[in-house]
Amino acid sequence: MSSRELDSYRSGQPAQLADVLERVLDKGIVIAGDIKINLLDIELLTVKIRLLIASADKAREMGIDWWQNDPFLSGGNGQNGLEERLRKLEEKAGLPTSSEEG
Amino acid sequence: MSAAPIRESATGWYLYGVVPAGGEGPAAPAVDPSYEVVAIECGGVTGIASRVSLDEFDESTLPERLADAAWLERTIRAHEQVLEAALARTAVVPCRFCTVYRDEDHLRSFLAGHSNALAEALERLGGRVELGVKAFTAPEPRSTAGQAESGRAYLEARREEQRRREELAASRSRTAAELHGRLSSAAEDGVVLDLQSREASGRDEEMLFNGAYLVLERDRFERALDAIARERADLQLELTGPWPAYNFVPEELGRG
Repeated sequence: MSSRELDSYRSGQPAQLADVLERVLDKGIVIAGDIKINLLDIELLTVKIRLLIASADKAREMGIDWWQNDPFLSGGNGQNGLEERLRKLEEKAGLPTSSEEG
Repeated sequence: MSAAPIRESATGWYLYGVVPAGGEGPAAPAVDPSYEVVAIECGGVTGIASRVSLDEFDESTLPERLADAAWLERTIRAHEQVLEAALARTAVVPCRFCTVYRDEDHLRSFLAGHSNALAEALERLGGRVELGVKAFTAPEPRSTAGQAESGRAYLEARREEQRRREELAASRSRTAAELHGRLSSAAEDGVVLDLQSREASGRDEEMLFNGAYLVLERDRFERALDAIARERADLQLELTGPWPAYNFVPEELGRG
C-alpha cells in the first residue's frame, strides 16, 4: 500500500558495500569451523575502519554517542596491536588519536 | 549434487548459513565460483554450503586473500547473495563470513551437534526479516570565523559557531533517538548501528542515523517509515533489505 512512497527512498540498487560489510563481517553466528582466522589480525579490519569507522569521531562530534560500541573499537581485551593500528590510521587521516583514552 | 571437485584433498566446505530441514541450495554463485551452492541436511536442519578451494580458504592463505579488496568485496557479496536467495524462500540463520570446514563430515557433525540450538534460532526468526534504515541530513555549514575583521569579532564568531554546533549536535541526537524509538515500536526488535562515513555511504549528506530492525509486519513498519518521511522533509531516508537477520541471531549458539 505504501510502496509508491517507499520507492522514493528504496534505492533499488545493489546493496551498498558498507551495509554488506557491517553485517557479513561483524554479525551472524560465530561457529567454530575448522579454519580459524583471526579477523582482528588481518588487513580486513583496516578496510572496515576506513569504510565505516571514520565516522565514529564524526558521530561523537555530532553528539550522537549512544550507539552501540563496537568492541573492535572500544579496545580493551588486550588488543594492543589493534589499537596501535587504529592510532596509525587515525594519524594518517589527520584525526585526533584515541591514545589518550587508555 | 555439487560439481565434481578437481582435487578432492584441496577443498573444504564453506557454510553460509542454516535453514530449516528440507531447504534447497539456492541458485546463486558461490564464494568459490568453481563450485555450486548445495543444501546439506543433517539432524533436522539444513546447512547452505559450497565447496571452496583450500588454496584460497585455508588458514595460511586466507589472510592474504582478505587483504585484497577486490577479492574481499566479491566474496562478501557472494556470501550475502547466497543468503538473500535462501531468504527469499525460508528463514535463515546467517553465519559469519568465512566459516569453513575441512570436509563434509566435520560440517555434518557440526549441524548434528547443534541441531537443537539451530532449530530454536530458526524458530525465533520465523517469518521475520531484517530491514535497515539510514537517515541523512544536509552537512553542517562551513566555518566563516576566518573571515572576521578583528580579533574580537573572530572570537565572537567562534563562540557563536560553537554554540550553534552544540545545538545542532543535540538536535541531531534527539532526531536519531526519536527515529529509533518510532521504528522500534513498529518492529519486533531494533539495534543502532555505527554511522558510516560519506565515503562509505556514497552520499554528500551526513549520516545521522543507522539502524536495523527485525520486522514481522512489513506493512506496519513501512507505514511508520512513511509517516516519518512525511513529517521530516529535512531528512533523507533510505530503506535497505530484507536482509538475513544478521543483527538478530545470537553471536554464539546456545546464547541469547
